[in-house]
Amino acid sequence: MNQGEPLVEVRDLSVAYRAGDSDIEVVREVSLRVAAGETLALVGESGSGKSTIATALLGHLRHGSRRTAGSVRVAGQDVFGLAPLALRALRRGTVAMVAQNAGAALTPSMRIGRQVDEALRTVTHTRDTRVRRRRIVELLDHVRLPEPRRLVDRYPHELSGGQQQRVAIAMAIAAQPRVLVLDEPTTGLDVITQRGILDLLAALADELDLATVLVSHDFGVVAAMADRVHVLRAGRTVETAPAARLFADPAQPYTRELLASVPRLSDEPRPSVPAAAPVVTCEHVRAGYGGRPVVDDVSLELRRGEVLALVGESGSGKSTLAAALAGLRTPSGGVLRYLGEPGGDLAVPAGKRPLDLRRRVALVFQNADTALNPRRSVRDAVRRPLTLFGIGPRAERAARTTQLLRDVALDPALQERLPAQLSGGQRQRVGIARALAGEPDVIIADEITTALDVSVQAQVLDLLDELRRERRLACLFISHDLAVVRGIADRILVLYQGKVVEQGSTRAVFAGPNHPYTRALISAALEPDPGAGAAAESAPRWEHDDRDDEWIDTGAGHLIRRWREERR
Amino acid sequence: MIRWLPRSIAARLGLAIVVLHIGLALAAPLLAPYSPVRNDAGHALLGPSWSYWAGTDQYGRDVLSRVLYGGRYALAVSFAATFCTVVIGTVIGALAAFRGGWPDNVAMRVLDAVLSVPPILALLVIVTVFGTGAGVIVLAVTVVYAPAVVRVVRAAAQGVVTADYVTAARARGERTCPILAREVLPNILDVVFVEFAMRASWVVLLISSLSFLGFGVNPPAPDWGLMVAENRTAITVVPWGSLAPILALATLVVGLNVAADGLSKAWGVDRIRTGAP
Repeated sequence: MNQGEPLVEVRDLSVAYRAGDSDIEVVREVSLRVAAGETLALVGESGSGKSTIATALLGHLRHGSRRTAGSVRVAGQDVFGLAPLALRALRRGTVAMVAQNAGAALTPSMRIGRQVDEALRTVTHTRDTRVRRRRIVELLDHVRLPEPRRLVDRYPHELSGGQQQRVAIAMAIAAQPRVLVLDEPTTGLDVITQRGILDLLAALADELDLATVLVSHDFGVVAAMADRVHVLRAGRTVETAPAARLFADPAQPYTRELLASVPRLSDEPRPSVPAAAPVVTCEHVRAGYGGRPVVDDVSLELRRGEVLALVGESGSGKSTLAAALAGLRTPSGGVLRYLGEPGGDLAVPAGKRPLDLRRRVALVFQNADTALNPRRSVRDAVRRPLTLFGIGPRAERAARTTQLLRDVALDPALQERLPAQLSGGQRQRVGIARALAGEPDVIIADEITTALDVSVQAQVLDLLDELRRERRLACLFISHDLAVVRGIADRILVLYQGKVVEQGSTRAVFAGPNHPYTRALISAALEPDPGAGAAAESAPRWEHDDRDDEWIDTGAGHLIRRWREERR
Repeated sequence: MIRWLPRSIAARLGLAIVVLHIGLALAAPLLAPYSPVRNDAGHALLGPSWSYWAGTDQYGRDVLSRVLYGGRYALAVSFAATFCTVVIGTVIGALAAFRGGWPDNVAMRVLDAVLSVPPILALLVIVTVFGTGAGVIVLAVTVVYAPAVVRVVRAAAQGVVTADYVTAARARGERTCPILAREVLPNILDVVFVEFAMRASWVVLLISSLSFLGFGVNPPAPDWGLMVAENRTAITVVPWGSLAPILALATLVVGLNVAADGLSKAWGVDRIRTGAP
């Protein structure tokens, strides 16, 4: 590793924005240095100022905020002292950025080749389209995209999320930058895709000798990528240390606290709830868009008081299955039944279910920011189901609303607030309170912790665990994060392309033996431990084996779909 | 909800002009120095003076008094027509966005057809068939302008109906009406308000055009459009007879436009600032 002159040097940087008549500091006296070939990770919870620092490296500050002190030097140039033209040259050639959601950053109506060409044209002056096209194909090949020659003529929507992110990376490295800024580069991607992108980024940083600044709230990603870690809290530096030392022996209590709340694959599973009578049963359920099946012949049983995790990459059909249970999609085949009192058919849309059945199944959303109506107060949100389902006498509803907020550990004084005035964790609690208002037996939790910071995630998971024990709730917990699943689920169901490939108790699934797809999922999961990075074993290529019995039973209800190595 | 009176100077100025117009129209009986309809052959076709600020017309009626009263018809009918247009347009637009699928498609094609007819032509046909009562004109304007409102509202609502809070309401099994009223409408209300101000300026012009053409109030009742028509023959003798109502109409339309523009900018920027979708 090259430990020469740092390419990036931030000195005592302070950034503030004006709110009303006062200045609010978002970054306070932060200093950092990154040398060529080195990866520095900025970690912290939302609002810690990590993204502000990252974009400051490109000389950009969010509208309304300004630098109050300090300097940012990139490749020897003071970025805030540069003239607009020189700043553009810096962004064009020296510093490149890959943002979180690449799908949204690509122009939907422009072919991939032309988009990459735009980035390329800023640095190469050749007018020869064949030369440029060759270079574009090289770039796409460089980011390990399959069939780059055909890809140049595709549109962004024809690519998967991971492929779009690779195109964004290709555009970033087209100008052969020396500094790469990665702002949550894999957030929103599933584990297997994430692993691929991170491997690529690490390889590129090595090959091109880049100084990389990685912004992430995910300690797994940080452990896999970073040489050094810079921990931030409320805009201030908490500590900065080499990754290995930080994870093994954090110096500051705040870092220790953060690391302790990160779920790990090695955690002991929670004591599971003894099996009880099933409340929901699905038999041979099918659902799809157009002719394409997204959920293909899935059968499952959800028992009272248990957490059943649905695991799989994006597109595996887990959200579609949840939507069918919630009455948002009508399945095209199969049986979905609610078995508690009063019983009923769940294969019909929510609007056509009897009132008493409707309130038994409640949904909690992934993104609490969009799950609450921005124009309605917390009280409105929680009270609506009470009114709709006619729960309790009218006079008691105010008291009941207060009680529900207490149940999810929210201060009832918050009930006058609008969602925008709450933190992410508080919003998710309101979402859970709203789901509980109908006194449901079944809760469908669709990736409910994905958008939350680790410490808040731990609190929300604890809350969910507590609630299901107290109220004997059956919970369908949808997640792609196996470490989270291990911490909360009693049983796991692994979906791949709409089919169940493995199911069993959490303990049995993690103990193995496994279906190769489950194996791939587990090995792609990132542990917050820099040593564990390279353990990804390559799973064999496989296909479903439909001979005689579909399932291999390893005992105690652990079933693995029969498979064989793919013949070519 | 909506922070009343945004900081935008344009919005405040526009609203002030509109409010001033409404105030003058309401207070006309108190402010007008003469009766707007009384003929006075002895004082016909006078230029501006201390006793007749804006002069008199060919029948000796005070132009200023007629302008003050003349806004009443235009404002009342325009307000009623715009209100109906925006309400109906909002309901259909939100419903189309929420339902989607073939009902949405059918509704949009029908509206395309209506939109392709020139408004003044359609209005003339309706008025010729059904007469020139205020009710007919309100109805006619609604038919002609509602499709444009539907488009705007539908586009705004399409961004809202996919939000998770609407999905949550559907998962609770709520009916269409409460979902639109509770979840969708509050989030597109700013668009609706801007559309109201925008549409009002068009409607004021359209209704005054109708009066000018002779479909609207009957003489001798005072009305801006009618006044322009009556006095245009004498425009070289008493220019104020035509200019005063034109000025009144122009300031009202400009006021409405400036208000709509300022409001849409103010609320648009507010949305970005607060991060609301």
